[in-house]
Amino acid sequence: MSAAASTPHVSAEPETLALLRHSVAGLARFDGQRIRAWRDRSPGFDRALWREMASQGWFAIPVPETEGGLALGIEAAAIVAEQLGRACLPEPYVMAGFLGPMLLAQSTNEAARRELLPDVLSGETVLAPAWQSADGGISPSTPGVFARPDADGFVLSGESRFVVPAEADIYLALAHDGDGLLVAAVERRDVRMLRQEPGPDGVSTAWLGFQDLRVPKSRLLMSGEAVAARVQAALDHAVIVQSAELCGLMQRALEMTLDYLRTRRQFGAPIGSFQALQHRAVDLFIQQELARHATGTAVRAAANATDCRVLSRAASSAKARAAHAALLIATQSIQLHGAIGFTDEYDLGLYVNRIVRLAASFGNAAEHRRRFAAASAET
Amino acid sequence: MSFRYGVEQERDWNALTDEEFRAIVRAEFEANYPTELRYAPRRLRWHETKDWYLRMAAKGWIAPNWPVEYGGMGLSPAKLLIFHEETERWGIGRYQDHGTLMLGPVLIRWGTEEQRRKYLPDVLACRSIWCQGYSEPGAGSDLASLGTRVVLDGDEFVITGQKIWTTLAQDATHMFLLARTDPGAKKQEGISFLLLDLAQKGVRVRPIRDIAGHEEFCEVFLDEARTHVSNLVGELNRGWTVAKSLLGFERIHIGSPRMPEYGLTVLKRVAEARGVWDDPLFRDKYFALALDVQHLADAYNHFTAIVIRGEPLGQDVSYLKIWATETFQRIADLTVETAGPFAAVKGDVRLNDTTVNVLASFYKARPPTIYGGTNEIQRNILAQQVLGLPRR
Repeated sequence: MSAAASTPHVSAEPETLALLRHSVAGLARFDGQRIRAWRDRSPGFDRALWREMASQGWFAIPVPETEGGLALGIEAAAIVAEQLGRACLPEPYVMAGFLGPMLLAQSTNEAARRELLPDVLSGETVLAPAWQSADGGISPSTPGVFARPDADGFVLSGESRFVVPAEADIYLALAHDGDGLLVAAVERRDVRMLRQEPGPDGVSTAWLGFQDLRVPKSRLLMSGEAVAARVQAALDHAVIVQSAELCGLMQRALEMTLDYLRTRRQFGAPIGSFQALQHRAVDLFIQQELARHATGTAVRAAANATDCRVLSRAASSAKARAAHAALLIATQSIQLHGAIGFTDEYDLGLYVNRIVRLAASFGNAAEHRRRFAAASAET
Repeated sequence: MSFRYGVEQERDWNALTDEEFRAIVRAEFEANYPTELRYAPRRLRWHETKDWYLRMAAKGWIAPNWPVEYGGMGLSPAKLLIFHEETERWGIGRYQDHGTLMLGPVLIRWGTEEQRRKYLPDVLACRSIWCQGYSEPGAGSDLASLGTRVVLDGDEFVITGQKIWTTLAQDATHMFLLARTDPGAKKQEGISFLLLDLAQKGVRVRPIRDIAGHEEFCEVFLDEARTHVSNLVGELNRGWTVAKSLLGFERIHIGSPRMPEYGLTVLKRVAEARGVWDDPLFRDKYFALALDVQHLADAYNHFTAIVIRGEPLGQDVSYLKIWATETFQRIADLTVETAGPFAAVKGDVRLNDTTVNVLASFYKARPPTIYGGTNEIQRNILAQQVLGLPRR
């Protein structure tokens, strides 16, 4: 039995993917002024741009056609994420534009699916998966929220943390009911915002409190035995797509650094002509290429996976490399730029801060290396 | 009717599916390659590999990369890759194979009909063994500064100079070499590509003992060694172009993940025998390396797919060599660390329930970062030709 196979998958044609890459690159352009303007401001991203992204169909990628989606598969999502990474967009595509719609589309509650999905796909409703407990573990099997049965549904209590976007319209709350996992759709007004924690990239995360919150059956999206594997598979897909976003970020950061090495002159020569710096640049390039291919391999594994352990292993392989490579490129790019690289007015810092954030969320390199080790022992 | 270079191929290999072809190759290797020679800790000598390669020659499998009309297997890039994968998988030791790997492709592309007919049949039958005379004591990374001199004496070239790091020259009967035919020209311009019979009094081969105690490379002293002018390959003073043209398909093999993969299995055996396989500190290090190897394989597969599509490889393929060879070194170094006091024992070491050659990886991992263009030279090339950084 396979959990991974339950996720929608249709391999898109290469031409479709090339067109998609082109159209994402056209819409998602780097705009440092805009990024700086949204930092530390509610809701941390531009809802108008979010609707425009929706109108391009990007959020419909992981949704089956029967649900009004495009069913383009993870290859397409990875392309979107990579291009958004290149532009350093703060918009929470992986969480709210990919993982959220994917989970919702897999809901066994048809009425809820029919009611919520259209507005999510149009960008009107913004989803935020609330799956991680306050201690930050990366396994969904131990969420921080507990669900106990009630006459007409469930009562949720507990906390969820690192929720992105912090100010979503609907949270997809993952909870444990004693036997297994369930996912419920919860309105923002019903949840207590314990704290909004600021991120290095200016995007905050929510620390949510559920205090005996009654959730009617009509808002229960999925429950029962299959949920754990389904949520794990969805998270693994999201980890892979997030690795693609990191690839886009590190590519741009390295390009900026190579440009700088080519143009900055000291001692009467471009500093990029010095062998010590050339060799360091090559080592960063190697890491970038490894991340690209590790992510590409994971994308293909996810598109074809019939075994959830194979999927988890591939996802961890990609994120372990992408997070390591991106952080290395980010920090070395600062050093190769010199002091200017540490200033807020220079655009490199926006990439560095975004990389720091994404490398740490959904499990960092060390956590994914350990998960890769565990998955390798099983397979 | 037409000239026959080697034995006839028993079938059209490319007409088989990849799976069928792989099964045939694997079956042959598994059934007939001597077990005691699998995964040898050093380059094997001709007296050790001779029986196997004569068998390959008799089967017509000695030159999988050559076209059928020249006596090779004529494999497509995909099939050739499978052949190499199976060779590596079974840990088959190389002989001094520069004749099939390098000389054949050079003569097929640049040689005359006379040169091909004279030399290729002997290469295919293993009657001649070729070595490569490129490096000199004063010309390593800066190969174009080589100084071996050539003067013309009637219809013979007279060659004087010294070659070094010549792999298994003590097993070789012939050498293809680069030498300076125009001392007035600059660097690359005055170099020619020559073929030389080593069985003559102007040639002296001295094996060099390495720090592992093996003799895998040699010095070759050329003191008025003679070769007929018909042994010039390509045009006079254009040898650099001939030599450079070889850097195609072969460049990918040095980046293959098989060697580091094998290193990992040795490391795991050492860790299990030492009782640290379940130690979290060790596991962190081991799986970081396992991921380094995994991602090498991911990148390698990307490049092999390009080869299989029949497209040319870009300069960026050089990073595979850097990553493969340095990853193997890190694995070898952790193997030594994990072995503790057992790394002070040379050769096969009794380590609890198992026997491992702890230092084999350590020594085997040193030359690859130096040969085939040092990793420093590879980084220069990548920086300037792929990343577009300025030359000094």
